[in-house]
Parts: sequence; structure tokens; C-alpha cells
Amino acid sequence: MASLKGLIDVLTLGSERPLRRLLAYYALLALLLYGILQAFPVVENLLLGSGLSDLVTSPTVLQDGLAGQQPGAAPDVAVPQLGLALVTLLTMLGALALMLPVSWVYMSARKARGHDQTVAQTLIILPVVVAGVVLVVQNSLALAFSLAGIVAAVRFRTTLRDTRDVVFVFVAIAVGFAAGVQALTVAFIVSAVFNFVLLFAWHYDFGRNALEPTATAQWTEPLAELAHQGEDAVPDRDLALALTPEKAARLAERFERVSNMLGAKKKKPKYNAILTITAEDTGKAQQSVEPVLDESAKRWKLDAVEKNDGKPSSLYYLVRLRKTSSEADLLTAVRTSAGENIADAVVEMGGASEKANAKASKGE
Amino acid sequence: MRSRSRVALLALLTAGTACVRAQEPSSAGRARAATLLVQRASRLEQALQQPVADSAADLPLARWLLPLKLAEVSGLALDRADRLFAHDDENGHVFEIDYRRGLLVKEFLVGPRGLLADFEGLTIVGDVFYMFTSDGRIFTFREGGAGARVSYAVHDTRLGRECEFEGITYDATIRSLVMACKHVGIKNLHNHLVIYRWKLERGQGDRLSRIAIPEAQVIGANDWKKFEPSDITVDPATGNYVIIASQQKGLVELTPAGAVVRSEPLPEGPLMAEGVAITRDRLLIISAEATAGSASLSLYRRR
Repeated sequence: MASLKGLIDVLTLGSERPLRRLLAYYALLALLLYGILQAFPVVENLLLGSGLSDLVTSPTVLQDGLAGQQPGAAPDVAVPQLGLALVTLLTMLGALALMLPVSWVYMSARKARGHDQTVAQTLIILPVVVAGVVLVVQNSLALAFSLAGIVAAVRFRTTLRDTRDVVFVFVAIAVGFAAGVQALTVAFIVSAVFNFVLLFAWHYDFGRNALEPTATAQWTEPLAELAHQGEDAVPDRDLALALTPEKAARLAERFERVSNMLGAKKKKPKYNAILTITAEDTGKAQQSVEPVLDESAKRWKLDAVEKNDGKPSSLYYLVRLRKTSSEADLLTAVRTSAGENIADAVVEMGGASEKANAKASKGE
Repeated sequence: MRSRSRVALLALLTAGTACVRAQEPSSAGRARAATLLVQRASRLEQALQQPVADSAADLPLARWLLPLKLAEVSGLALDRADRLFAHDDENGHVFEIDYRRGLLVKEFLVGPRGLLADFEGLTIVGDVFYMFTSDGRIFTFREGGAGARVSYAVHDTRLGRECEFEGITYDATIRSLVMACKHVGIKNLHNHLVIYRWKLERGQGDRLSRIAIPEAQVIGANDWKKFEPSDITVDPATGNYVIIASQQKGLVELTPAGAVVRSEPLPEGPLMAEGVAITRDRLLIISAEATAGSASLSLYRRR
């Protein structure tokens, strides 16, 4: 599975876009099939629905029923049995390979509400079983009736959490059926068309009710909750609701930096401030800022450098100020030392430091 | 662990390759098959030329085991050149079988995807095939090449209520299809062997006629309770109708007028005899459905 993922990564240049990854998977599958067909042309029968009506096109020698066999005895069919085993194996593997992407799409499509693991597993097991059953029944009306009888006797009643999952189960049955009648080409097309149609419908939010919020708008709901609920509520509600996914991602990065600065819970923070330097030349900025930090800070580290195309870059330092230094002292020292090497400098103080500063100011 | 799974995958691939290669006949295999077929044909010719005592007449000269697709072999028919055709019970597959050498020559399909019906008999008139269903429908088509799908026309005789059919043949002397009835739906004919005849050409008088022979006459000295035909054919030497019954394991010969010529047990052979044909060189061919083993085609001397 890891090597398959690696191959898909190579084909998609590491893209995580589901459409590209699906295309890559189907391309790989088609390539593999082509290779197998080149090596074993007999496999072609598995692709064209020959199970529906496989016809004898070349003369076949019949077994002699009187040569060393009792009348009515089963013929020696060792080689056909091997062929049957191979056909069965390839049919089932084909069904499995074609249902894997459907199960991936299922898991992706149900990400928001959480997918049902039993359904995901059913999606890859069901077609394999269906293909096996169809292979057994083939064109026998008698076996088909027997199967109907057995299925009627053994009832499975499962309530699906999401009724839309039924569509996936139908696809699993269709793929299994097509594979069972040795029409893997049909199974391939069913699987691919279903996946791509679903992805397009998902991507373009097909069938959206104009009175309901868009899919893009829906993602802000958790943000709204964040703005309203609990003691961790974001103070500025309007700011939270105005966020776009890109802005939220950048904000998350900043939150992570603050979190790093504060360190683990119930421990004294290792750093108590973030110094953000904006500069065109980060090298010169570093040369002029870091000596100041050596003097003013108890400890510091360069947390991140953000290069922005066509805009000044940003340097983020995590800093533990000396007790004798304040936020204003640091800013003054940095700006004096760096001069025109930097465009801007900002210090954000952590909560613990703010309290310390407040105490210090009271003492004064 | 990963290397183990790679070895297992390689072993699977190798086994698969071996299986596929095993399916493909080599040139040596083809040569062996050709020799075998020649041997079979000459063995049959020799057997036919040897005088045989009456006690050995019931023993088969040859028996060919039919593939799984012909497990429910239903009817047999010979064309003008004594080529043998067989069909399956319910899907519209027609097979040509070289009965002298034991070779399945070809197969073709009636309809683009076959047909779903209860096929019970086949006969060939000139180059037109007539395949008959138990409910009295006749499907007509022409011979197809190997693997071909042929178009067809269907004619309903509307005799399905009167009779459940189990066999069809062609009587060239009266230019009629002759159809044997297994279960009669007409009350006053319940204890009769009923045979319908349907003229292929429109002319004066009814195209359809029926002969009914009391079952007692048909059964004769045999210990059968009744006689339920499985297939019917015309003996090319005498023009008589030869009817077999799988349930009773019996064979009855009638004149076209309905007189019983003989009534006797079938030659020794597999159960479920479903098809019968007689060649010009006096070979009686009986096809049997698969029961415990596989379906078969047995060749006997025609007495």
C-alpha cells in the first residue's frame, strides 16, 4: 500500500488533490492491465464480458467417455480447473482494485460527519463476494433460483447511518456483478465514472439549495462556535467570522507559535515574547538584531523565516526577556541597532510576562 | 516481513503464469490432438464395419463427454451433410460436434445476447435451423460461424396450452415439422402419445395436423407406466419416427401413420437421454444431460 501511495505521489507530483490522485490511480491500473494483457492475452476474456456469453471459437477435443472411465463419471479436468482458479482469482482481485478508489472517495466524502468504518470495509469486500457468487451462478437459471432462495432465507438488515451510503453499496454490487460476468471493462468504467461524477458534484456543490449556506460558508460554523462558546472563546467575533480558510490557516500557524512560546501546560514558559521583524534583506536584519537579543534576552531562538515574493520577509524570534528589560526596551534597542536594515519590529508579550510586567510597574 | 510478502507475490505471479501457459496448447500438443482425432475416426470406422452379435449391439461405439456449457444438452439435429448440431437447454447456444472424432467444432449464439427460453429440440431443413421451445414457439435462424451471434425470427404455434413439447424433427416426405408432446393438455388424449405436424409451406388444407397413439400400444410389453418423449427424429433409411423417453429409458419407433414398429429399452448408457439423431450410415446418436458426472454423446449401431 505504501509503494502504491508512493507511485501515486510521483505521478501527481505530491499533489493531495483527490481528482489528480484518482486519475493517477486509474492510469496506473490501466497501465497494469495493459501489461498483463501483453503478457497473457487470454486475460482479454476477463475484460469483455465473455462470461455473459463466452463462445467456443476454436475446435475443442472432447474427452473420451469410454477410455478408462465409467459411464457418467466426472471427466479429468485438471487443466480447466487451474484456468477456472486463475479466472476466479483475477476477477476477484479486479473487483477489489476497482473498489479501492470508491472506498477512498467514500471516506473523503464523509469526512465532515465521519465515515462508517463498516461501510468502508463493506465497500471493498462486497464486490469481491458478489463477483464470486456471479461466477458460481453464471448462466444457470437453476443456480440463480437457488441463490435467491438462500438469500431470502438468510436476512441481513443493517440500518445505514447515512442513507446516501446506499449508493456506494449499489456501486459495490454493480462492480462485483460486472467483474463476476468477466466484464472488467464495464466494472472499470462504472467505478471511474461514479468517482469522478461524485467528485465533481462535491467540488461544485451540485444541487445546493439557494436558501442554505454554501459549503464554503458552512465551514465557518465551527468558527462561530469558537467565537461564542466557553472560556476559550475568541474575543473578536466579527474577526473570527470574517476569516477565510487561507487566513484561518495562517492564524493557526501564529497560534502554534504562541503555543510554542508558552510551552507545556503547568510549566514555566520558556519564552515570554515573540519578536517579529519585517525586512527586505533577512541576512542583514539577522546580523543587526541578534546581537541586541544576546544582550537584552535571557534566551532566544529564531522560530521561523517567512519569505514573501515581492514583499518584505518576516523573521519570528521567540524570546525570554531579562527581568531588567521590558518590551519597550527591547524594541528601542532593536530599532536603534538595525536602523534601515529592517522595515518594522513588533513585540507580542505572552500572558505570564504581561503579569510580570504589571507587577514590575506596580513596584515602581 | 515485507520481503516475505514480496516473495509470496512473486510466487503467486509465477503460479499464475504457469496456469496461463498451461492453457495455451503447444505445437506438440496440437500434433498429439490431431493424431488422436485420426485414431478416433478410424476406430469408429473399424467398429462399424465389424459384424456384431445382437448382444453387443447395445454397447456404445463411442462416448464423448461434453463440456460444462453443454451440461444441459437438449436437442440434436443433423444437417444434409450429416453434421451434428446440439443446443443447450435455456440460453440459445448452438454447438457443432464432430461426433466421429469427438471434437467440439464451434459454437454460435442465437440473438445478440442469447435467448432465455426452455429449448427442447432442434431440426435443420436445408440451411434453416428450427429450434423449438416447450411452450410451442419456433425460433428460426441460419447457421453462424464460430463465435457468431445470429439473428432469428420467432413463430408461436399457439400450441403451448395443448401440449408441453419435448422434441422436434423434420419429415421431408410431407415437408412438415414433427413435434412430440411430453405432457398433453387435452383431456381425452391424456393416455396417448401425441405428435403434431406442421407443414412448412402454405397450401390447401390445414397446415397443422395431429396423430395420437394410445399409450398402451406405445408401451407394448415394456414395464413402463407411461411414455413421456424427450426427443424425436426421423430414421433416414425408413422414414419412421424414432422417439426416446428419458424417464422410461425407452425407445419407440412409429411409422408416419402412427403404427408402432417397435418399443424397447434404450441401449445401455447414461441417464437422462435428451436428444436423438440417426445418421445415414446407421449410427444412433443419443445425448444425455449431466447428472452425477458430465453430459455425454453416445454413438450406437442402429439396428
